[in-house]
Order: sequence, then structure tokens, then C-alpha cells
Amino acid sequence: MIALVPVRHGVLPAGAPDAIAEAGGRVLIAGSGVAEAAIGGHADEVFLAELGPFEIGRWTAALAAVVEELPDSDIVVLPHTPDGRDLAPRLAAALDRPLLAGATEIRAHRVRVARRGGLELHELRPSGPFVATLQPGACDSLSFDSTPIVHRVDVTDTPATAHDATVVEVLPPDTQTMDLTEASRIVGGGAGLDSDERFTQLDRFALAIGGVMGATRVITDRSWVHHDRQIGTTGVVIDPDLYVSFGVSGAVQHTSGLGHPDHIISVNIDPHCPMMSMSDLAIVADANETLDELLRLLDAPATAEVTP
Amino acid sequence: MRIAVCWKWVSLDREREADRRWAGVSAADEAALEVALTIADERRAAGDEEPTDVTVICLGPAGADDVLRDALAVGATSVVRVDSSTELDSRVVAIALAGQLDDRDLVLCGDYSLDRGTGSVPAFIAGELASAQALGLLEVRPVADSTALAWRVVRRLDGGRREILDVTPPAVLSVEGSAASLRRASLAASLAARSAPVETVRGPHGRLPEAEIHPYRPRARVVPAPAGGSLDRVRQILDVGGSETHAELVSLDPPAAALKILDQLHDWGYLDAPERAHPGSG
Amino acid sequence: MTPPRVDVDAIVVGAGPAGAAAATVLARKGYSVILLERGSFPGSKNMYGGVVYPRILDQLHPGWWNDAPIQRWITRRSTMILTDTQALTVDFRSTSWGTPPYNGATAFRPDWDHWLASKAEADGAQLVCSTTATGLLTDEHGHVTGVTTDRPDGDLYARIVIACDGVNSFLAKQAGLYGEVDAANYTVGVKETIALPKHVIDERFGVRDREGVDIEILGGTSGVNGGGFVYTNLDTLAVGVVLKLPKLAAQKLRPEEIIANLKAHPGIAPLVEGGDVKEYSAHVIPEAGLAMMPKMTGDGLLIAGDAAALCLAAGIWLEGVNFAMASGMYAGEAAAEALAADDTSAAGLAGYERRLNDTFVLRDHRKLRRAPRLVLSDRVQHLYPDMIANTVERMFRVDNPTPKPGLRRILNQERKRAGVRLKDLASDALDGLRSFG
Ligand SMILES: Cc1cc2nc3c(=O)[nH]c(=O)nc-3n(C[C@H](O)[C@H](O)[C@H](O)COP(=O)(O)OP(=O)(O)OC[C@H]3O[C@@H](n4cnc5c(N)ncnc54)[C@H](O)[C@@H]3O)c2cc1C
Ligand SMILES: Cc1cc2nc3c(=O)[nH]c(=O)nc-3n(C[C@H](O)[C@H](O)[C@H](O)COP(=O)(O)OP(=O)(O)OC[C@H]3O[C@@H](n4cnc5c(N)ncnc54)[C@H](O)[C@@H]3O)c2cc1C
Ligand SMILES: Nc1ncnc2c1ncn2[C@@H]1O[C@H](COP(=O)(O)O)[C@@H](O)[C@H]1O
Repeated sequence: MIALVPVRHGVLPAGAPDAIAEAGGRVLIAGSGVAEAAIGGHADEVFLAELGPFEIGRWTAALAAVVEELPDSDIVVLPHTPDGRDLAPRLAAALDRPLLAGATEIRAHRVRVARRGGLELHELRPSGPFVATLQPGACDSLSFDSTPIVHRVDVTDTPATAHDATVVEVLPPDTQTMDLTEASRIVGGGAGLDSDERFTQLDRFALAIGGVMGATRVITDRSWVHHDRQIGTTGVVIDPDLYVSFGVSGAVQHTSGLGHPDHIISVNIDPHCPMMSMSDLAIVADANETLDELLRLLDAPATAEVTP
Repeated sequence: MRIAVCWKWVSLDREREADRRWAGVSAADEAALEVALTIADERRAAGDEEPTDVTVICLGPAGADDVLRDALAVGATSVVRVDSSTELDSRVVAIALAGQLDDRDLVLCGDYSLDRGTGSVPAFIAGELASAQALGLLEVRPVADSTALAWRVVRRLDGGRREILDVTPPAVLSVEGSAASLRRASLAASLAARSAPVETVRGPHGRLPEAEIHPYRPRARVVPAPAGGSLDRVRQILDVGGSETHAELVSLDPPAAALKILDQLHDWGYLDAPERAHPGSG
Repeated sequence: MTPPRVDVDAIVVGAGPAGAAAATVLARKGYSVILLERGSFPGSKNMYGGVVYPRILDQLHPGWWNDAPIQRWITRRSTMILTDTQALTVDFRSTSWGTPPYNGATAFRPDWDHWLASKAEADGAQLVCSTTATGLLTDEHGHVTGVTTDRPDGDLYARIVIACDGVNSFLAKQAGLYGEVDAANYTVGVKETIALPKHVIDERFGVRDREGVDIEILGGTSGVNGGGFVYTNLDTLAVGVVLKLPKLAAQKLRPEEIIANLKAHPGIAPLVEGGDVKEYSAHVIPEAGLAMMPKMTGDGLLIAGDAAALCLAAGIWLEGVNFAMASGMYAGEAAAEALAADDTSAAGLAGYERRLNDTFVLRDHRKLRRAPRLVLSDRVQHLYPDMIANTVERMFRVDNPTPKPGLRRILNQERKRAGVRLKDLASDALDGLRSFG
């Protein structure tokens, strides 16, 4: 088993350490500027393949060749982040191997993949080689004290026959999301909140406790909240001290983006959903009315607040 | 110009596959159609005399015909259903779809389907057609004027980064639900569409390997062996995954819930006391 | 002048029980009907379950029970009177209610409404969902000619419009069919759906298979005028209260607090113990009272079901689906007559109110205002009182020198006279005893 981590200008994607850990510390780092890629102590054996600018068709052709050559690479694990998610199917097709996408656990003969909006786990029993993508945050990263053994793989320069999209530029997280990525207190809202106005309220509550507001994809897809407020694997990956959720089910793609908060409070009518089970304080209540009450309390003068 | 939009129809109710009530397509699939229709509108507006064909294609069972008619109602030129009742491997699905797509300049997909939701089908399609691919898009704009066959797209990367790409036909694009919200059909159109025939072609059959299905639970974390004296060890063990061990589950009515939250935040030191009297302390 | 635009013969607004019934009748008579529903499917906006009494469907859909999407057939109907510490239950059980033609059943509205509407579709009505009627179109004489909807170019013209858009009907108000409505005429209904395994429910309520129980409760609403109910679904319970609005406002008590108190009552707690609350819903119900009933007919317009305030919610009484289905059916018939006679003026539609007056729809509303509130189920209302009264009377009557007849003989004679089956009586007596103290 080996991890395959696509990098751009040496920048590792979120979830790279997890993928490497799942593959037991062996990783093939491929893409542009691989030499600068800093995997810290997360790996003990590293293969570097310089592929130049991101061109999925060309990368696929090159990587298929490389993977064929690498020792025990019958199972290839990519992080289920944008580049990994886009590359994995192309590679699987090129290698003519099955693709097991969006896994939360990868073993040679047992793979758990998240389905139905991340609320179900399907346990698959592959026989033979395969390509898989791993949900970021699915497992803990390894750390090795010794510096890893590094091999440079020379890529047989594949003629750029493939018809690819061309990268114009990569934009850093814009300031609008910076506050989210860097906030130490985050308030998240999900489909349990019944209208877009609720998110104006949520914003006010976040402000009142010195935090910022984020949402689940169901909400950003409804355009109730701008997509750059989406917390999770395909949204913004955060790591706050405090996370307060209202009407969030806690699907893996959302929770994978949560990091490891010191404190989690959740308000949900379903006491058994994943978000509630991972909370320090799980409150079974209507999130909408609770929000009304919270704002009432916070707006009220201090004296009013102490009288329940 | 010829555009195809791929829609995956999913019944969210396993017991009642045929039941239309809980079935549909993902927000991303709807966005894909809106993006396609917008391109068509803009080309028409820009005086492109050759009309843009927007065909919606779905590989799925007969239950999907209703949503395909909805697609006609909002302005799709035509719809095709690749008939297949069984759950198929994403690559098999893509190969079957690609068979219908080789004459298309653009193939627009959703970023995720409601059930599988891995976003892999569009990539597989691109592979099959040797098309350019740009997936998980937030924005699709024509480069230069609306009649040009080149698009500038914004794609989501991880950690809040985004990238801008240029794509030319043939290309497979997948868009997120927030990329656009699907227009509503006029009453007349949706009434007219009800009786519209849905062209059906035979599709592949086969099965996914059987899978055991469980509700999602976060994976158990590996904990380093506790060190130190026996007492510390016990403490550490008790502290493992702190949140789980100290978790409190309460059922409260909203006012009580609100107080409880402020109370807890205060105890954790997130609300600095001077500013606000301690909730419940009176 | 150019003839007015007409898209269809009839527009029915609202695919609830009333609308579905109206559309079915018209479609069967061969008229073109469009059934507008604002929800994504019929019932999607009516998520709570309840008890329905579908007898009226014998006329509309003979053999309806073969495919009706019910949870449990009501074979036990109890009326509880709660004080702070006691519960007195009048309990009636009929095994015959568990077999065709049945009597009442618990059902989920998304299933029930969807089922009724798809029957209308099968009969040729055109159901259009996710579409809200936003107003009435009228000609210069105020004759209703269609509706406006929230869709792009969504005006729709018809020879007649039937408003079945539920409580607080916006359309009926716009047509000026309602007089001043004061809050006193409304009650608010709140309900919790509580999940319990089927076998636990069977055991606690003494039923099996598809048998179910409907408990109506007087008192136990924390002093607020109103009452409560407990229904058994297959693997959930519906526990709720129906509260008079003004009192509630005065009481400073939140509905959910009142439900909580009810669930904590010694008479109720053992029934609901250990269940998870799955859903919480609250709705306004037009309370029974001919007082507030609107005009049912306008030029080119009929209103049916809750839109016409045809819902009984007098305290613990909660029936509307049956009235909705019936009034919808009669509205459909009257509309068909009017269309045939090509006179859809209020006069031409007079057949509607006549039908309502001649049938249980308005009769029940009249009768039930006088009916004692405690004893609700028909049998208990009509059979038991006589039987018990006579029995007791004969027992204590002193007819010397004639010796007293034995109690057993009296009971038997009275039971036969009242037509109560011994089996039922026995099981009721038992249940009655169980429920005491
Ligand atoms: C490839 C892929 C990537 C994805 N990326 C992301 C991502 O980055 N971020 C993300 O968030 N999602 C992502 N998703 C979607 C994710 O799988 C879930 O669908 C989504 O997170 C669910 O959002 P939700 O919890 O708001 O909605 P739901 O799952 O519908 O949950 C709603 C919750 O609200 C509760 N509720 C309902 N009514 C009330 C009430 N009145 N009061 C209180 N609670 C109530 C319900 O019990 C439920 O728990 C992704 C999915 C896929 C397939
Ligand atoms: C809490 C509660 C419990 C109840 N329990 C029971 C019970 O146990 N048994 C019983 O028999 N009755 C019960 N009732 C009463 C019963 O629900 C109503 O009497 C019955 O639903 C009336 O049917 P309807 O078709 O007239 O209206 P509704 O069922 O309200 O249907 C109206 C339909 O019209 C649609 N609509 C509304 N406005 C528009 C518009 N502008 N455009 C398009 N569509 C529109 C709505 O979406 C809805 O589908 C209960 C009511 C409540 C509130
Ligand atoms: N059976 C199908 N028929 C048509 N399009 C599909 C099908 N399955 C997936 N797609 C398209 O591929 C996208 C991603 O699906 P998935 O890879 O299943 O997450 C969907 O949003 C659709 O646009």
C-alpha cells in the first residue's frame, strides 16, 4: 500500500498526513515543486515525482507508468480533497483498477466508504489491487523521529497529447474565509435551521461570543450562506477551540473539516446523530427557537439575562 | 454548440424505490443545468444564430422520467434516459454515459450525486472521452465574448484556496450546488412537459459488489500507551477522547437550552464575566 | 367582446384531503381539473400523523381500506379524565373495528394526502406541485375566473375555482367570505412524535398486529382550556394537546411545557416512558363553531375543508380529515352540476351548501356543540349511556312485592336491547378496571 499525494508548488493538500498514515508511512509525492513539499515526520519512505504544472490528463498518464513500477503499490491511497478526488478516477481507469472513493478506513481486504451524504458507511471487501481516496481527518497522522528515506522517481516524459484545462492562477484563501480558517470560536448552522434569516441570527450570535459563522454544504448549496462559509472537506477546513452547531447532522464530510475543538456544543432534535455524539454538550431542542432565545438573552440587559 | 447535462436521479427511500416523493437530483445537478441554460441564453443574446442544444441525460430507472420532464419544462432541448435499474459501479456508469456524449462540446455534471456523492463519475467520463476536466466549480464564465468556445472557471481547492482555469471543448465540467440556482418552469411549460415522451436507450446491467451498510460513526482513534505513575495512567485513560467521556446530553426547551449554552460557555471561560452577569447566577 | 380565457374547467387549490376529493369527483365526471399544491408533494407540508375516520370514502373509493396507507386501525378508543393525581378512563374496544369496513385509523399525512391525490391523478386530474396560488382572478363583476400563482407567467383561468387551501384560507378571505375572525375561534394544536419499538407499544396499549389506540384526554393541560390526545402509530406515539388560544396567551405557559406536564402525569407517563421525541409540530386549528363558519359559496368559487372552517376541534375533539374529504366531495359534485348547467354563479353553486346541510358535515357540527365532551366515541355516546342508565335504574327501583331481579339478568337484557356484544362489554369492563386509579 502506498499513499499518493498530489502537490501544487510544493503545497501539501489537507489530509495528506492521514493518507500517508493509512499507507503505513510510504508516500509518492507527485506534482509541481515536489522538492519543496514538507511532509515533516509524517512519512518514513518518500518517492518524489516531478510532473510540472497541474494537467490531469498528462499527470494521469505519467503517474500510471510510475505506479506500475513502484514496489508494493497494488493499493494506492489519495486524500479525498479536490486534486486527489479528481485524479483518483483517472488513475484507476488508466491502471484498470477499481476505485473506492471517499473511504474512512482502508485495509487491504476491508474498506469503509462514506455514502448517502456521509451518513452511511458501506463496508466493501476488495480482492486484488485498487485505488482509494481517504476522507481527510479520518485517522490520526503518524510521526517518525528519523528523517525519511527519499527516492527521486524520474518520470518518463510523456508527450502532452492529453487535452487539459490550463491553470491561469491559484488564489490564496480570500480574506473573507481567512477569519473562518483562523477563528478560534466557530458557530455552524445546518439544515435544521429553517430559513436564510436564521443565518443572519447565527452571525449575530457568533459575533456576540467573539466567533465567526460557518455552515454545512446543504446550506451553501441553497445559497443561504455564501459558499466560502462552507465548513468541511470540500469547504474550509477549520481548527477552532470552540465549535457550536445548530441543526447539523455531523456527516463525515462536515466533521472532517472541524479539526479537534476543545469544546463542542450541539443543538439538534436528534440525540443520536454523529454531531451530537461527538459533542461535550449535546442539547436536544429546536435549534431555531433556541437561537431566538439566545439572541433575546444576549440583547437583553444583564439583569434580564439572569432571570430564566 | 452542443451541451449535455448529466443528472443522477436518486430515491432516498430504500424501501420505496418507486416513490417519487423522496426522490430527486442533487442541488449540484440542478446547478449544472442552470449553468448550461445560461450559456445557451447568452449565446442566443450575443446573436449566435446556430441554436445551442442542451440535452439532459440520466442513467437510471423509469422513476427518473418525472425529473427529466421537469428539465424539459425549464428549457432543456431534449432529454435521454439510459435505462438501467440496478446500482452500477461509477466507471460502468461513466462508460455508458460517455457513449451518449462523444459529440458534445461541453458535458456539465453536478459535483456530487445524492447517494454515491464521490464526484468520480465526471472524471471517469472525461477519461473515457479524453476531454479536458475541471471539477467542483463555483463559477463558469465565457472567456471574452459569450460566443467564444472557451470558458474561464473557478475551482475550489482545499483550505479555502481556489484556482482559475481556462477550458476549451471537448470538456467535462462539474459544478457545486452554489454555482447557480435552477430557474422555475412556467406553469404552461410544466403542464406541457408532463405528457412529453422521454427518449430511452438500453443501458448496461450488472451489480455493485454487496456492501454491509452501517450508520456513519467516526473511526476509533489510536491512543498512545499512557505513561507515568499508576494514578496518572488512570487519569490519562479516563481523559481519552475527553469529549466522549465528559459528554452531557440534555433535553431542554428553548429558553432553558439558551441559558444552558451561555452557562456552559461561561464555565469554559468563553464569556468574560465582567461584561455580562453569569446566566442563572441570580 | 372577446370570450374570456379559460385554461381548464376547474382549478382546485390545495391537495389536502378536501382538494383531492374535489378533484377526483370533477375528473371522474370528465371535467378538466388542475390540482395546485404549494408543497413538493401532497402532504409534504402536513407532516404530523393523526386519526382519520374515512367512512365517507366508502362512496368515493369503495374498498379504500385495501390500499389506504394507514399505520394502525383504531380498535380501542379511550377517553381519559385527568386530575392532578387521578385518571378515570372510559374505554371502548371493538375487534370489529379491526376488520373491514373498519372505523378509524392512524395515518401519516404525507402518506395519506399523497395517496388521496394520486387517486385523483389516476382519475385524470392534473396535480401541479411546488406551486402556490397567490390570489384570485376576477372579472369586472367580481366573478372568480382563475388564480394567480408564484410561477413565471403563472396566471391560470378556469370556469370555477375550489379553494381547499386549509386553515386561514387566504383565498376565502380575499373573496370576502369570512367575517371578522377573532382568535377565540382558534385553537392551537401541538404534537410530539415519540419513537418506541412496535412490540413495546403493542404491550403498553394491549393491542397486536395493526390494532391501534386513540386516547382523548380531558384535563391534564395545566389548567389551559383544551385537551390532549395520545395516538398509536406503528412504531411511534403521537402525544399532543389542543389549546384554546386566548387562555394560552393569558397563561404564560408554553405549549411544549404543557405537553411535558401531560407526559409526566401518572396516567400517561407509563405509556410514553423511554421514547425519543422524533418530531415536534404546532398548528392552528379553526375551532368547531358554526359561529365563525364563512359563506361557502361565491361567484365562481367554492371553499371546502379547513378553508371553510369545517374542522371539529372543540377541546379534545380533533376531526377534520373526514369533514374535509366529505366537503371536498360535495364541492366537486356541486361544481360539476354548475358546470353542466353552465351557471357557476353563487346561485348555480347552491347545491354545495344544500349538501353540507343535509349530511353529517354540518349536522355533526350542530350536534356536537351540544354533545357531552367527555364521552366521544359513537358507541359510548349512543349505546352505553342507555344501557348503564337503565341497568342502574332497574337495580335500584323498588317494586315490592315483586322480588328484585338479579343484576346479571338485567345487565344481559339491557345489553341485548342496546345491542352491545358481550365480548366487547367484558373486555371494556376489564380495560375500565385496569385504567382506574
Ligand atoms: C463529496 C462530498 C463532499 C462534501 N463536502 C461537504 C463539506 O465540505 N461540508 C459539509 O458541510 N458537507 C459536505 N458534504 C455534504 C455532507 O455529506 C452532508 O450532506 C451535509 O454536511 C449535511 O448537512 P446538514 O447537517 O446541514 O443537513 P442534514 O444532514 O440534513 O442534517 C440536518 C440536521 O438537522 C437536524 N434538525 C432538523 N430539524 C431541526 C430542528 N428544528 N432543530 C434542531 N435540529 C434539527 C436533523 O436532526 C439533522 O441532524 C459533502 C458531501 C459529499 C458527498
Ligand atoms: C395538530 C393537529 C392535529 C390534527 N389531528 C387530526 C386528527 O387526528 N384527525 C382528523 O381528522 N383531523 C385532524 N386535524 C385536522 C385536519 O388536519 C384538518 O381538518 C384537515 O387536514 C383539513 O384538510 P384540508 O384539505 O381542508 O386542509 P389541509 O389538510 O390543510 O390541506 C391544505 C393543502 O393546501 C395547500 N395549500 C395551502 N395554501 C395553498 C396555496 N395558496 N396554493 C397551493 N396550495 C396551498 C397546503 O400545502 C395543503 O397541502 C388535526 C389538525 C391539527 C392542526
Ligand atoms: N447515473 C447517472 N446518470 C447521469 N449522471 C450521473 C449519474 N451518476 C452520476 N452522474 C453525474 O456525476 C455527478 C457526480 O456523481 P457521483 O460521482 O456519483 O458523485 C452527478 O452530479 C451527475 O452529474
